[in-house]
Amino acid sequence: MSSTTDIADIVKIIGGDHVAVTSIARGNQDPHYVEILPSYMLKVRKADIYFMVGMELDLWAQQIIDGSRNRNVLVVDCSVEINKMEVPTAQIDASMGDIHRFGNPHYWLDPENGKLIARIVAQKLISHDSKNADQYQANLNQFEKDLDSAISIWTKRFSNLKDKDIIFYHNSWPYFSKRFGLKTVDFLEPKPMITPSPSKLNQVIQKIKSDGIEVIASESYFSDQAPKFIASKTKVKIVKLAQSVGAIEGADSYINLFETNLTILAKAYGVSYD
Amino acid sequence: MLKKLVGGILITTFTFGQTTANPQFSVIGDLVIDHLNKNTSLLSSGIEIAIQGYVNPFARADIYLHKHNDSSPIELEEAVMTIERGLPFGLGIRAGKFRPDLGKINQSHAHLFPYIEAPSGMTKILGEEFWSATGIETNVFLPLPWYSNFSLSYFDSGIGSHDHSDYEKDGDDHKDDHKDKDDYNYDDAEKHHGREKQANAFSVRWSHFFELNDVNHLELGLSGYSGQDEGILGTDLKYKWRPNKYRSLIIQAEVLQHSLEDVYKEKAVHPDEKLTAGYAMVNFQFNKAYNFGAMIDYWSLELADDEGMNPSIFFGYSPVEESAVLRLKIGQLEDEGHHKKHLKTTVQIIWSLGPHKPHRY
Repeated sequence: MSSTTDIADIVKIIGGDHVAVTSIARGNQDPHYVEILPSYMLKVRKADIYFMVGMELDLWAQQIIDGSRNRNVLVVDCSVEINKMEVPTAQIDASMGDIHRFGNPHYWLDPENGKLIARIVAQKLISHDSKNADQYQANLNQFEKDLDSAISIWTKRFSNLKDKDIIFYHNSWPYFSKRFGLKTVDFLEPKPMITPSPSKLNQVIQKIKSDGIEVIASESYFSDQAPKFIASKTKVKIVKLAQSVGAIEGADSYINLFETNLTILAKAYGVSYD
Repeated sequence: MLKKLVGGILITTFTFGQTTANPQFSVIGDLVIDHLNKNTSLLSSGIEIAIQGYVNPFARADIYLHKHNDSSPIELEEAVMTIERGLPFGLGIRAGKFRPDLGKINQSHAHLFPYIEAPSGMTKILGEEFWSATGIETNVFLPLPWYSNFSLSYFDSGIGSHDHSDYEKDGDDHKDDHKDKDDYNYDDAEKHHGREKQANAFSVRWSHFFELNDVNHLELGLSGYSGQDEGILGTDLKYKWRPNKYRSLIIQAEVLQHSLEDVYKEKAVHPDEKLTAGYAMVNFQFNKAYNFGAMIDYWSLELADDEGMNPSIFFGYSPVEESAVLRLKIGQLEDEGHHKKHLKTTVQIIWSLGPHKPHRY
């Protein structure tokens, strides 16, 4: 079992035919808030390993794991090796919105971090099922090779995205932006997980007009209402990106998630990417 | 004896628990504005304090304290240890003071109600603040293709030990009605049951959850209760449709039937009397922050030929992820004698500090 579809896809790649993996959150679901259904507990009850995102993104997972009464399940936090971004350095409280104490948890949106996730997955699968260790190691090596190759190709093909200003709905994208050189200039949410207010929208409209910002991107699960309102007042283009595998059409695997998102952005900015 | 056993378990667990991190503290408070018969009143139910955390890798503890907005002392609503991991055969155990697994609504704290106040029929059976008792519960997943959970609980006191002051008044009114029916000797019954109602009680529940697809879920439950001179049977249903975080629909209904035997709350009733109470609710979330719904609340005393029904509509607004919720309810309210029906408007502002929140959906 895994909390999200991204990790589930990586587990599927590393585990191959030796594992059956299911994700609790659907790809188009907000991973911050997942309703705890009793049927999830039944699924985890049969699991050998549960892979969590960690960094307090999927706090709901612990309740599902506890409720499963599976005393043998191994719980793995996939964030342990991640070089974490935006770790608060001062005291935080609810007046700042939904700030994550251990840093921004959307780390899987950097493909380099996908390799770190894959290594943890392989390590746990090998220790749990040592008789197929060679297969897991071979799958890991192949996945790393494929990702390295893809990252190299994306970096070249989508080099025109570098230094492009972008506004995101929610702060899910610092790892993605850093990897591909996008410059995040603002968010529609005035504070994390706070619905865009009229004054915030007005502020964003002024910024778009004064700085010539071309694109607003949002996660698939957010309403179009605020981005469309801004688009009606400016010439900004609005796009939906896949925050997870399965969030939008085309993002049907971990590697295709990046290919799909980068292609959407390149089209929105009108830059060449072939 | 049971209190000593439960106390012993709790003390042992807390003493030897790995208390490496502080538990989570939450506080929920509210303001309620009632408008009835041209009178408007401002009230507060006080605050609920929740202290929650892991005792060790296998057990967690949940403590809920309620301080009413008056001079009464802090009341212990629940102090329960739950063991969900580490036991064989998929067993789970709850021990301490907690809300028993009886019906759907009994386990819900009042701040969760989108309709602000508990259905009046249910309070006639479960008490104004619902049934909470000291005891032990064991529950198990049944080996079925869907989620099916069976729980059995044993408590040191039954529902009858609760205060049902509003019903006691009704009981006086109906005593004569019963006498007219079959000349039952109520005075003897009262003498016979004059002892304190602190008898042990059992409750059972069998619940099922069906994930019809990604967005449609159905939950069904059967419950039973046996206490001194009283028994309860109940059934409940909850259907939920939630295609995304901006829309959801909940349809929930529950019926409890309370066999009163010959005495109820120290007042004599006909030995075959049954108090039936139920409600049906629909709650539609049409936006990230807004919901509205309707509820119908019903109760009846079969032999006393007495019944009541109160329909209501409600609305909710939660601007910031359920950390503060504004609720409005407009509903019918019957007076004590069930002769007059009044329109009652209630507004509630409820807020929370910490992770324990007034969830709506």
